[in-house]
Amino acid sequence: MVDQREQTVVEKGSNFLKKWGLSVIRSNSFRIFIVMVIMCVAMWLVSPPFRTANNLLSVAKNFSTYAIAGIGVTLVIITGGIDLSIGSIFGLTGVIATMAFVKFNIPAVPAVLIGLIAGGLLGLINGVFIVKFNLPPFIATLGMLSIARSIAYIITKGYPVVGLSKGILFLGQGEILKIPTPIWLMVVIAIIFSIFLNKTITGRRIYALGGNEEATKISGINTDRLKLLVYSVGGVLYAFSGIITASKLGVGQPTAGNGYELDAIAAVVIGGASLTGGAGTIAGTIIGAAIMGILRNALVLLSIRSHWQQFVIGWVILIAVILDQMRVAKK
Amino acid sequence: MKRLLLVTMLVVLVAGGLLFAGGAKEKEREIAVVPQQLGNVVFLPAEEGMKAAGKDLGVKVLWEAPPKAEAQLQVEVMEGLIERGVAGIAISCNHPDALQGVINRAVAAGIVVTTFDADSPLSDRAFFAGTNNYQAGYISGQEMLRLYKDSNKARIRVALLEGIPGAFDIESRKRGFKDAIAGSNIEVVYEGACDDDVDKSVIIVEDYTRANPNIDAWFMAGGWPYIVQPGAMPEYTKWKQADPVNHKVVTLDVFPSSEAFFDLGLIDSAIDQDFYQMGYLSVKNILNILDGKPVEGLEDIENELDDGSIIMVPSIDTGTKIVLLENYKDYFKD
Repeated sequence: MVDQREQTVVEKGSNFLKKWGLSVIRSNSFRIFIVMVIMCVAMWLVSPPFRTANNLLSVAKNFSTYAIAGIGVTLVIITGGIDLSIGSIFGLTGVIATMAFVKFNIPAVPAVLIGLIAGGLLGLINGVFIVKFNLPPFIATLGMLSIARSIAYIITKGYPVVGLSKGILFLGQGEILKIPTPIWLMVVIAIIFSIFLNKTITGRRIYALGGNEEATKISGINTDRLKLLVYSVGGVLYAFSGIITASKLGVGQPTAGNGYELDAIAAVVIGGASLTGGAGTIAGTIIGAAIMGILRNALVLLSIRSHWQQFVIGWVILIAVILDQMRVAKK
Repeated sequence: MKRLLLVTMLVVLVAGGLLFAGGAKEKEREIAVVPQQLGNVVFLPAEEGMKAAGKDLGVKVLWEAPPKAEAQLQVEVMEGLIERGVAGIAISCNHPDALQGVINRAVAAGIVVTTFDADSPLSDRAFFAGTNNYQAGYISGQEMLRLYKDSNKARIRVALLEGIPGAFDIESRKRGFKDAIAGSNIEVVYEGACDDDVDKSVIIVEDYTRANPNIDAWFMAGGWPYIVQPGAMPEYTKWKQADPVNHKVVTLDVFPSSEAFFDLGLIDSAIDQDFYQMGYLSVKNILNILDGKPVEGLEDIENELDDGSIIMVPSIDTGTKIVLLENYKDYFKD
């Protein structure tokens, strides 16, 4: 009797694992993950310096800021929106947090919080323009791209903010268990937002909004409030990415993040998100950012001139989207 | 009602315009300085020089920069200044040919136009203030030769950091550097472009140094990595400090933040162009031309064009300072 019961439990467990394994293998993130593994193996074989733990940690540290900003814009893209103000919010909030720390002697934690709140507010303003004034996200965030960058220049008069000291530097230059802090932060944020998107009602509604906005509205969901939330959270994450970068470099620059929006969006697209909305995962975005980080690192390690970098990344984006289209057509 | 409102607004506008035109005083003279890009730290001393000249000489000065280092955006800024009717413009050209047309149009409109930092040698500009970028690169190459003059290594391998691929000023510096080391045992083995992005510049230098710890030297065609704190560059620091005798670094540009790198022995030679003087002397001498006075310190200096031909350029040489480990404390004290 007891043996029979045990057998049933084991069968149930193995069925669950089988189902879970199949769902993982069939997921788009897994395909992208395989691409990343192939890239790593190829680099492992051709470039001995790539194999060092130091190099791998450095790659992960470098792409972690793109990944954190990428998680923010993943939420936006899942709703069917777009955010072009990533780089400018990244630059402005990096400057705000470092100025708060250096010029106003505010301790590190509140200074970082001020930067994050500023990012959230800028994101909220994006959302208000989209929801209340019916501006297309492209236009609203294009406006914010200019406005935020301009504010960064105005408050710094073009000068970098220098003089960062230990407290705030830990965010970008510190280590926990010999692993750089930015990597830990990326992992924690990725876990939080994976749970948020997949296990909470609000997360499910964000997918629903991107899949079919009208149907979501008719079902009684306040889509305006969802959009405001998504753009604000996006702003907070771009800000976090910008503050970590300022800390990593030890300087707040008004020019920081120029063009980062394209890198962050590219990471999301490579990670399998659909620009028409309704599809995208946090894991995919992390892998997309990792692929871009590995590519950049590979081009340097192989002494290939940087002129080829954009060429290669461009092809990776195109191939990722073509593969995704083929998968959708097959379904 | 709407029509009445419209007519009232028109009347107010026309009356206001007439009043303004009638009451307008003679326009105050304005001199605009146009750097290559807003927020580029290299140009900040030029802005300070411009402001100091404006204050000393009692003339209104404007700092008008395009948001990106693109020639087309600079052309648009120039066209705006022509429309505004400024008295003089000093510009650092993103590209000599792309700016030539608009400079000539400004000169034809009666504006005194000069160039600084990066010239447009075939345009109608009055003079060039600064150090030729090719020359700055050439001096950097000579510095690299000097640093290795006692080395008995058969081959010195140099990694080169550049900004935006194809940017005219950086290409000129690279050309100057390569011409200076031509025929020697010094060879450029890698060229990495950071797109003028400080974060990317640090990533490139760190990644390449980690992968190639036996590289002999770095030549930075611009000072992007020295805007950060040395703590952001652990691999580079380790490499340089491991063998300071054989590992050398030559860079263009010196910033206040460069001092921390000198303190740790992470830069051997930095070529500083005097941007403050470029800003100051440009404004001062534009004013001299407007007032019919001679340009101070003007001399004809040879300049090599892209096709290899040599032309004489009316120039104010603001000179270069070579900042070394031996003299950097004096430099930063000043």
